[in-house]
Amino acid sequence: MDEEEAYILLLLSDGNLPTGSFVASAGLESYATHGFLTAGGPSGSINDKLLAITEFVRDSVMTYARSAVPFLSDAHREVQRHLDAAPVDQDAESTLRILVALDDLYEATTLNHVARRASRSQGVALLTLYSKGFSQPPLPDQPSSDIDARAGVASTLIDKLKLVVRREDTPGHLPICWGVLTAALGLSVERSQFLHLFLHARGSLSAAVRMNVIGPYAAQQLLLHTIRPLVIAEAEHCRHLRTGLRQLSAGSDQVPLFDEDVMTEGGPAMTWPLGEILASRHDLQHSRIFNS
Amino acid sequence: MQTIGPGVGRIVLRPHGSEAVFSELSYAYPLKLLSPKVSQRNTAVVYVLSYGGGLVGGDQIKLSVEVHDGSSLVMLSQGSTKVFKTRPGHQLAQGQNLEMNDLTCQHFDIEVSPGSSVFLLPDPVTCFRSAKYNQVQKFRLSGDASAVLLDWITSGRKSLGEEWVFNRYYSLNELWVDGKRIARDAMLLEEEIPIQSVPTRTLADRLQPYSCYATVLMYGPLTQAISRTLTAEFEAISVFKQHTRPSLIWSISPISEGEGCVLRVAAGESEDVRRWLGRALRPLEGIIGMDIYRRAFA
Repeated sequence: MDEEEAYILLLLSDGNLPTGSFVASAGLESYATHGFLTAGGPSGSINDKLLAITEFVRDSVMTYARSAVPFLSDAHREVQRHLDAAPVDQDAESTLRILVALDDLYEATTLNHVARRASRSQGVALLTLYSKGFSQPPLPDQPSSDIDARAGVASTLIDKLKLVVRREDTPGHLPICWGVLTAALGLSVERSQFLHLFLHARGSLSAAVRMNVIGPYAAQQLLLHTIRPLVIAEAEHCRHLRTGLRQLSAGSDQVPLFDEDVMTEGGPAMTWPLGEILASRHDLQHSRIFNS
Repeated sequence: MQTIGPGVGRIVLRPHGSEAVFSELSYAYPLKLLSPKVSQRNTAVVYVLSYGGGLVGGDQIKLSVEVHDGSSLVMLSQGSTKVFKTRPGHQLAQGQNLEMNDLTCQHFDIEVSPGSSVFLLPDPVTCFRSAKYNQVQKFRLSGDASAVLLDWITSGRKSLGEEWVFNRYYSLNELWVDGKRIARDAMLLEEEIPIQSVPTRTLADRLQPYSCYATVLMYGPLTQAISRTLTAEFEAISVFKQHTRPSLIWSISPISEGEGCVLRVAAGESEDVRRWLGRALRPLEGIIGMDIYRRAFA
């Protein structure tokens, strides 16, 4: 990893990034309310709680990874290709069309309305973050370099995508927007996948701390020791998963199509039906502190 | 009659007077289709069966269905679809791929024309120890067609101590409306790959305390009333902090701005899920008729 990539990683893993993730518990709050953290009895020891949280994070990371990483990877690849072709091919339309097709497919695949809502709002927040927080500040009299040119193409693409999302022509889901953002910032697809899963796991642990299920030290301890091998294993497993999006030649006018055979045999899939039901019941909780 | 490949079937249903008539109903071993006579207007029932009451490793069912011009088709099974474990060295049907011989596939492709409807209401799938099962069900609706798709699975033969011990279960349900994929429900259940220095978490651990999971996809004008009723019932629930896990749990989510919905239910016993579904989907009685409805949820 070069220094530049390390710097971007530090930036993106900042818990203060305005991405809206602090109002998401990815279903943990509903899981707890429905008695799943206290399956061993309400007076369970701290070890029982740590174990229960670990189990939640494990199942949650797995099902999220298998459903979302293929979208992230394909969106990242398409944006990277778009940027590599710049400035020769600055037509953002074909890349946009592919991103919208991925986004539509993710919408159709995400059948739980609470997760869909959270994913949309976090996705849009990432696009805003890029244009407001990560784009080049306008500096007068600076000679433009190749790096500037690339960043300019990325900004244009993201602005256009934002516009399509604002017009409600596409939902703007988190994994797609994450792939777009990280590719625009020059992060490799492997780093992007890994960081996304790490942040998903860390988000659940932060939610557990806010819910007062575990303390902040215990959360760090879990994240460093117990959760790490789980995130590593899942990132490794999902590295090559794709949605089935066909490779189209650059600037192609064709409507993006998915390879139905890939989609049927090994496309994105949910692996935890229990998590789906519990997350969908989020809004039924009599009192709640999270939005999902 | 023209010969068709093993496990292949085809159903074409059209209205004729006040009856729904099969203009085509063909099938080949190990698939079997039976259509009992029913009295419901413009509605037909077909039982999708397999010889011997189950599927074994290597079986590949490929059924294509067309429902035309305002007719209704109800697709049922007789008892749960049992997927037997791999039988090493069992005799292969002609033309079967050797490498695929432990995987059982069931592929339904169902086209529903405007004004027509299809109701797929089978018993649950039960995968035995070490079974590998791949199920793909694609519904292609046009215009104001309606569909109800029930897909459910039990943990195995509990009486023999089997609880989520099959090798792999992959189920894909897709709903296409006028050429657009509006819902893709893909579920993969398998043991996780062992992670070094991390205790094993089995598939059963992940799915406990429930032994039966059901998903219902609904779409179209005929399903609107049920969908509205269940959504209202769902939204009226208020969950206070519980210390024990509920014995049955369900959820409903709208799809495609409320044109359809996905309903999910889990419970400790499949009979509890059946009873719950039988109640929740009862308004279907008014559409497919009480007799047929009772065949599905008896």
